[in-house]
Amino acid sequence: MKLLFIILFFSSLSFSAEGNFNCGTIECDSFSADTTDLASLQSGLTTYMNNCYGCHSLKYSRYNRVAKDLEIPIEIYQENLIFDGSKPGELMNISLNEKDAVEWIGAKPPDLTLEARIRKPEWIYTYLRTYYPDASRPYGVNNKVYQNVSMPNVLEDLQLNLSAAEFDKVIYDLTNFLVYVADPSANERKRIGVYVLLFLLLFTSFAYLTYREFKKELK
Amino acid sequence: MAANEKNSGGIVNWFDTRFPITDLLERHLSKYPAPTNLNFWYLFGFLMIVVLAMQILTGLWLMMNYTNTAEEAFSSVEYIMRDVEYGWLLRYMHAAGASAFFALIYLHMFRGMMYGSYRKPRELIWVGGWVTYVLLCAEGFTGYVLPWGQMSFWAAQVIISLLGSIPIIGEDLATWIRGDYLISGITLSRLFAFHVVLLPIMIIAVVFFHILALHEIGSNNPDGIDIKKHVDKDGVPLDSKPFYPYDITHDIYALGVFLLIFCSVVFFFPEGGGYVLEYVNFEPANPLSTPAHIVPSWYFTPFYAMLRAVDFSLFGFTAKFLGFVTMAAGIAIFAALPWLDRSPVKSIRYKGILSKVFLAGFVVSFFVLGYLGAVPPSDLKNLLAKVFTVVYFSYFLLMPIYTRLEKCKPVPERAPGH
Amino acid sequence: MVQPISPPNPGRRKFLSYATSFLGLIGAAFVAVPFLSAFKPSARAEAAGAPVQVDISSIGSGEMMVVEWRGKPVFVVKISDNSIKLLSQVDPKLADPLLETPFQPEYAKNEFRSRKEGIAVITGVCSHLGCSPKYYPEAGSTDFDPDWQGGFFCPCHGSKFDLLGRVYAGVPAPTNMEVPPHYFSKENILVIGSDGVS
Repeated sequence: MKLLFIILFFSSLSFSAEGNFNCGTIECDSFSADTTDLASLQSGLTTYMNNCYGCHSLKYSRYNRVAKDLEIPIEIYQENLIFDGSKPGELMNISLNEKDAVEWIGAKPPDLTLEARIRKPEWIYTYLRTYYPDASRPYGVNNKVYQNVSMPNVLEDLQLNLSAAEFDKVIYDLTNFLVYVADPSANERKRIGVYVLLFLLLFTSFAYLTYREFKKELK
Repeated sequence: MAANEKNSGGIVNWFDTRFPITDLLERHLSKYPAPTNLNFWYLFGFLMIVVLAMQILTGLWLMMNYTNTAEEAFSSVEYIMRDVEYGWLLRYMHAAGASAFFALIYLHMFRGMMYGSYRKPRELIWVGGWVTYVLLCAEGFTGYVLPWGQMSFWAAQVIISLLGSIPIIGEDLATWIRGDYLISGITLSRLFAFHVVLLPIMIIAVVFFHILALHEIGSNNPDGIDIKKHVDKDGVPLDSKPFYPYDITHDIYALGVFLLIFCSVVFFFPEGGGYVLEYVNFEPANPLSTPAHIVPSWYFTPFYAMLRAVDFSLFGFTAKFLGFVTMAAGIAIFAALPWLDRSPVKSIRYKGILSKVFLAGFVVSFFVLGYLGAVPPSDLKNLLAKVFTVVYFSYFLLMPIYTRLEKCKPVPERAPGH
Repeated sequence: MVQPISPPNPGRRKFLSYATSFLGLIGAAFVAVPFLSAFKPSARAEAAGAPVQVDISSIGSGEMMVVEWRGKPVFVVKISDNSIKLLSQVDPKLADPLLETPFQPEYAKNEFRSRKEGIAVITGVCSHLGCSPKYYPEAGSTDFDPDWQGGFFCPCHGSKFDLLGRVYAGVPAPTNMEVPPHYFSKENILVIGSDGVS
């Protein structure tokens, strides 16, 4: 009887959810984030601020938090990466007029703070690398992952001037940065988590030994 | 009065003569006689008390920083996640705590079903537990709406629309619950009030009743024997041991194991693969665009599958209404168990083959429906959902028949290995 | 009730019970950390309380500008040359003219109670019960003092301060008004809320 239940239980578990985050018309390229690689995050931040931030805010995040987490001195950060005179403690909001944006681009550019949690990082990584020429579209480009996307290929210059590997690295860093900014506490969380689990292991071992000691009295 | 004063003086004695706190603690905790043959299935009640306390504490802290308006709710959650020190931990604990609570209550309920813990004289304990479960469902649903992400909004939309299927009064009822003609900040505010005040108070009250009733009647056990039949000269059952220290040490060890699992999720998989925190819910609520793939929380998916399985109208009732009724019945029918079971024995250990087959059918259907409710529908899946909805209900509805038909094994007088 | 046998190893049993309880207490202390930490000012509160920058070039001689910092008014006063001369004359009337109590940063413990002579930077909150005193810069006879030398007067309970925020003796307010941390990042740019790099 017990065995039957155990088998049933595990066979039910194997019905795990389907991964439905495939990339539009193609399979996603693999992507493995590393939010401890500060050089990569800093490069991703720079790419973001120079190419994306004009239209895509990061409005749940604060400038000084990013500077702190990415270990960029605040003066250097303020001089090079804050363009509108915002204070370091402010949220990373942009002054793009929504109505203008809809008129120019046809859609409101979404805030990207949580993009890496909504879509998967591999989606972003693949998407930014799969623009192709398509004369039927307003900007002359289309995308394999996001069909009929309204965003132009902002990174086209980089794509043309860099080797494929160099460009992949730029997009890797950019995606890595988006993974960081979607969940900025992740590094701290994992660091604390190791100690928490080690402590609990110790506690549980002692609790087990105590339990066993008392159990002996009932025999 | 002086005769009542015990030999020692002091504060404890002062209290005891005015409010018998020692006696209360002894009866409900330290000297509570727990059957000797309890196994690991008897841990989940204790663990749920811990989770309940944790949910209340983390919830209180979240509430201090959360804003219950449609404009601010989403960003206030991100404020907690980013700007409040350790806010991310409090929020992840609360979210994972909700899932843990449901996992534990399902195990706890299944224990009761296996060992016949709902049978006489524990009907009220069972029904009290079932009320807790229903309240917990409401608590889970209202809490799920608060972050005001896409799933929050559309879950509220779907669930409240279900009420609209009730003939005649439905639409007015749905509007009344929403307080608006669409899901709006007004709806959010009232669900928030339910989530943080009304439902927690009710849950605490019913849990209190549940435990009090249990400790008056005494715990059931895996063999379903009545340990009160054989008592020692103090009237304490022979096949029992005091909760302290023999059960508490066991429970604390179990708490350690539980926390290891729980903290692994909180610290390393806080999204729980999309089951603890849905990916789509990281997008703010947008009333103009439904997410491509909308599912309820995992703990509701078996009932959601039943809702979807009913796609036919009958006797002039719409499919929508019948689906709603089926779903509600799937939850409600647990309460009827004490009166459906006609077996001469309590525990599955001594019941016949039919009970075992039907219980196994119930477990399989619960998991299969849970899976089907979490994936996009298709014709085949819909057929499967219909079949397993029937299997699910047959466990309950045929119980008065199969429990009387089957041949049971004799139940021992005393706990095994006494 | 089953009759437990006597503990086979009482010493071990005692040690394990205490060790587990001790670890449990440590665990509870750890659990308290996030809950207590969450009460600290959040990043938003810190951002709102960040130092403020003001251009003081527009303040005329003898005029005052009120700047908000951390929800409190900060008085920035350009003391007129005439009033500067009068400052030492009020000393005998003050409770703490030599600034012996620590209500100013170390760098402001000087005769002009500031980083720069003639510029007073004072948190405009009366040290009595927290009202904000009024600015009466002109010397002369007033309703509250026939021999007023210019300064601040609190409308709530009649406390008097001079132009540097030093409290008069014999008024309800016990101490001088505070001088907030401040520095000049440029000639006329005053930063309130930070000591700067000095």
